Formats: sequence, C-alpha cells, structure tokens
Amino acid sequence: MEESSVTASAIINFAQKLEDSSMSFYSRLAESFAENKEMFLSFADESKKIKVQVVRTYQETISDALEAGFSFKGLDLSEYAVDVALPEEVSHSDVLKMAVRLEENASKFYTDVADRSRSLLATIPRAFSKAAERRSSRRLVLMSLLDEA
Amino acid sequence: MTILEEPIKEVLALRNYIGGEWVESDGEIVDVVNPAPYKTIAKVPISTRDEIDAAVESAKEAFPEWRSTPPLARARCLFRLKELMEEHFEELSRIQTMEHGKTIDESRGETRRGIENVEVATGIPSLMLGSNLEDVATGIDEYLIRQPLGVFGIVCPFNFPFMVPLWFAPYAVATGNCIVMKPSSEDPISQAKIAELAEEAGIPPGVWNIVNGGRTVVSGMLDHPGIEGICFVGSTPVARDVIYRRCGETGKRVIAMAGAKNFMLVMPDADLGNTIAACMTSFYGNTGQRCLSGANLIIVGEGLSESEYNQFYDRVVNAFVDAAVRIRVGYGLDESVQMGPLRDEGKKVKVEGYIEKGIEEGAKLVLDGRKLSIAGGWPETCFLNPSVFENVTPDMSIGREEIFGPVASIMRARSFDEAVEMVHSNPYGNSAAIFTSSGKWAREFQYRIQAGNVGINVGIAAPMAFFPFSGMKDSFFGSLHGQGQEVIRFFTESKVVIQRWF
Repeated sequence: MEESSVTASAIINFAQKLEDSSMSFYSRLAESFAENKEMFLSFADESKKIKVQVVRTYQETISDALEAGFSFKGLDLSEYAVDVALPEEVSHSDVLKMAVRLEENASKFYTDVADRSRSLLATIPRAFSKAAERRSSRRLVLMSLLDEA
Repeated sequence: MTILEEPIKEVLALRNYIGGEWVESDGEIVDVVNPAPYKTIAKVPISTRDEIDAAVESAKEAFPEWRSTPPLARARCLFRLKELMEEHFEELSRIQTMEHGKTIDESRGETRRGIENVEVATGIPSLMLGSNLEDVATGIDEYLIRQPLGVFGIVCPFNFPFMVPLWFAPYAVATGNCIVMKPSSEDPISQAKIAELAEEAGIPPGVWNIVNGGRTVVSGMLDHPGIEGICFVGSTPVARDVIYRRCGETGKRVIAMAGAKNFMLVMPDADLGNTIAACMTSFYGNTGQRCLSGANLIIVGEGLSESEYNQFYDRVVNAFVDAAVRIRVGYGLDESVQMGPLRDEGKKVKVEGYIEKGIEEGAKLVLDGRKLSIAGGWPETCFLNPSVFENVTPDMSIGREEIFGPVASIMRARSFDEAVEMVHSNPYGNSAAIFTSSGKWAREFQYRIQAGNVGINVGIAAPMAFFPFSGMKDSFFGSLHGQGQEVIRFFTESKVVIQRWF
C-alpha cells in the first residue's frame, strides 16, 4: 500500500516553526541561565540561520516539475513537535533535558525529510542534512552539560 | 487544516498598462474568480480594438530609444526585476494559487521557473553577441549583427499565468524589443503584478504593455501592421488555424505552442516507487491542466511472458490507483493539499464529459474522480478528484484527445515497439516519457520518439529556461521555440555586413 504524503510546503512550514520556536526557547534560556548564556544565544542565532538556509534552498529549488507534493511519504509531523514552553520554576538540568529532547526531535526531523527528498534536486536533501548535523551537534553539547550538571 | 494568508483581500479592479500608465478600459468588465472558494477576487476589462491599437502605438514610440539603450543597461533593468520578483516571491506565488487554483508548492515552482527566465535574459550582452570572420575574400570582412525588430504580441494561456508569459517577455525586452501582452482573462492578476514590478525596475514607459481582454485584442494584434511577431500558448485549433495561419498571411514571426496528449511508458525494469511518485505529479499536478501532463500511461511487457506481464500490469495499476486515491484535493493555500480545483466550472464539465465518453467507448473506470472528496468543505463547483481508466486504446476519445484535467488512461503494449507505435499514432508531439532502469531502452526511446520534450524517468519534461521549450507535430507551429537561445533568434533579425575599405 502507498503511504500518504506530506507536501513540501508543509515540511518547510514545519521547519520554519521549529526554528522559530527554538530561537525563542534558547533566547529565554539565555536570559534565565547566565552560566550558559553565550551558548544559548549562539543556538538561537544558529536556528535563525538554519531557517533562512532551508527556506532559501526550497524557494530556489522548487519547480513545478518536481514531485513536491508526493515525495515526503509516511511522515507524521506531530511526532517531531516538542513543547518548549518553560514552566515558572524550572531547574537548570530540567531545561537541559528539554533542550536535548528538542534537538533529538529536530535532528530526527531533518534526517527523515532529507532521506525522503533524495528524488528532488540535490540541494534540498543537502540543506536538510546540514540542518540535521547542526542540531545533532547541539544535542551532544547539551548532553555533556547534562552529564556535568 | 491551516489556510495560508490570502494576499488579495478585496476585489481588485484591474486596468491596462499602456505607455507606462495604468488606464481604464472602455470594454466590458468580467469577474476573475478564485475557483476553490468560488469567490470573485478581481474585475478585468475585455479591452477594445482602439485600446490594443493604442498599446501598439505606444510600444512603437518607445522602440527607437529602447533599442539603442545599451544591452548592459537593459540587462540591469532585468536584474532589478528579478530582485523585485524574489522580494515578492511568496506574494506572487499565493496570487497564482488564488487566481488559478493550483497548490502553493506548484505556484512557488511556477514562480521559480518564471524568475529563471528573467535570470537567463539578464545574460543578453552575451546571448545577443554576433559573429564575424575576417578575410572572407582578400581584404574583406564579414560579420553578423543581431538587431531587434520592434513590437511583439504575447498571448498568454490560463494554465501558467505567471510563468508562460516569461518564456518570451524578458527575452523580447532584453533584445531591445517592446511588448504588448494579453494575459488570460481568467487569471490576469499575476501579469498585472509583474507589470507593476517592471515599472518599479525602471523599464521605460511603452516597453512593457498589458492589454487585458479576449478575441478582439488577439485579432487586433494579428491584424496590426505594427506588430512584428506573435508568441502564443493555447489550444491546437487556435494555434494552427488562427494564430499560425494569420501570422503567415500578415508576414509575422510566430511561436504557436499548442495542445498535447503525452504518453508515459513504464518498462518492466522501472523503479516502481519513484515512477509512481513521478506519475502522480505528471498526471495530476496542476490538476492535469498543463501541456506537459501525463495523459496516457502505457504499461509495456517487453521480454515478459503473458502471465508475467499480467502480474506486472496489475502491480503498476494497483500502485497507480492506490496513490491516486490518496491525493488530497482542496484549496491550494491549504498546505496539506496535493491537488487543487479545475480553473473553472466549464473546464470541470468538459472533463466530466470525457469521463462519460470513456465509459461509453468501453474503457474501465477504476477510479471515478466525480465522487468528490474535498478537504476543507469548499464548494464543489470546480473540483474533481483524480480519475483512472483501464483498457484504454489509442483510438478512443480519452486516449486520443487532450482532456486537460485529472484523468489518467492506462493502456497495454506487449512490446516497446508497439508502445512507440501507439505514441506515434497520436497527432500530438509535445512530450513523452519512459520509466526504465535500462540505458538501452532509454536511448532507443530518446532516439525514436516523436516528441519535443522527452523525459527519462522524469514525468514532467519541462525544459529549463536556458533550453528551448520544444514541441512537435500538432503541439507546435512555428520554427523557433520559446526560452533560451532560440527565442533570442526569434526576437532578432540577423543582419550580415560585408565590409571592404578602399
């Protein structure tokens, strides 16, 4: 049986929202946790860049002749969503755990969409893979901080 | 379901753009309807003969100064136009979805393809270079110069309201010509927006003109002695019997791109998963309303026994139908939607008529798109779901004629040769594709097939802007095609100078 597909537009929209919420999440963490302020700000800044790169790649590559509506099969975008609302009282280790989960999901999202966009022009999976690598590196940094905490 | 924000909030009152001015028309005013919610989004004039004449006169007046503007300066206007199109990328795309009905991915793809033509045209200082040879005889040199001709008319189709006019307009203007464009009155908003951007980009008054309307405007272009040539994209009867014929009678250059009935061959060694995804885009993308759409799917049994062929045939049909039935139909600004409505109610009725005819002629309707399932509960007026017919033969109406809607006709061929014969028995020759893992069959197909745009494991063989958009047989009337170097030749006269100094 054919699996149902998610459109490229929906994928890009999800990526934009993911990076927007990540930006806002890390900006708030930078305000609340001075010990990792620089790192959190750099994550927020990096999310802004990822968003620009992903959207730009899509807009510069999309063509009416590509299988944009039919390439992303078997994806449930809700599986990648993470609630990043910060509770009023939250510990340093708890926010690190939230951040690790966010990065895990983000990395998995970009890896999965990169795999499914191989039939599109090469720049699209490359942009997704690059985003996945960045989010994965962030996860490792956060994990090491969590181990230290 | 989230609907992206609509860029058109109120009913627009469109005007003509003549000589750098936005002018009211004296003609009748008709509605431009967004086919998904079935709401009027603009009013467009059906301009008069006097108005097309005024536009041609304005273009003629602008021509001498524009043709002597250095190509670099003309190119810079186009660079600015490209930048403005990039800035307005999303707005332009959403307008297309609203005026035509296509999905937002399709609209963005169309915007990109259109911009690519502007990009290629910015290379005009190189593209328009002539050539020379010293000493063709002793002390005599000879050289070729490409010169613009004057005013060209561009008659646009409804199916790609943004992109198709850009197969011609940027090249015409880049080469130093002036244009008078008639957008489709069904979806003229994109072209009004582009004219606004052209004005902002500094393209001088009279160089880029828009005259909205219908047959009167087209007849006015065809009859006007001040128009040097016509670019047309539309149906075969109009392309052949009106545009091509009349241009011949009046001595005009002509590019007349016409209808299509495109065949897709699936060989036994095809990668089925990727083939089906490509077929969904090809057969149902743009709701089947494009001249490169797949129409007939031939499942080829080359090298297979009868029972192997039957198994292979069933596998392809089942996968095709299973994918088609899952296509989500609705308003193109809903990002979950994979296929929008037909452009208007009349087009839906025409497609329904073909479905009836297919049944009457003995084809088997395995997926009936008249049974509607529309995401979002939009009015049914213009919507159809995908249809699939089996047991179609090339002589049936649905196998022979252009339906221009979301209907796939599946055919059987026991051999590659038989499939090629089936393709060649059709009068059209716009596009054809083969899905195979064999270089031998791919090469054989590309070598023999009588179609202008050939796909090898590509369902929409849409040439990039730097290649000609080709077409053969009843799909094209003219000599040179749109886009790339060929259209540069179309828009220029080759003047040869032979020079000797005493």
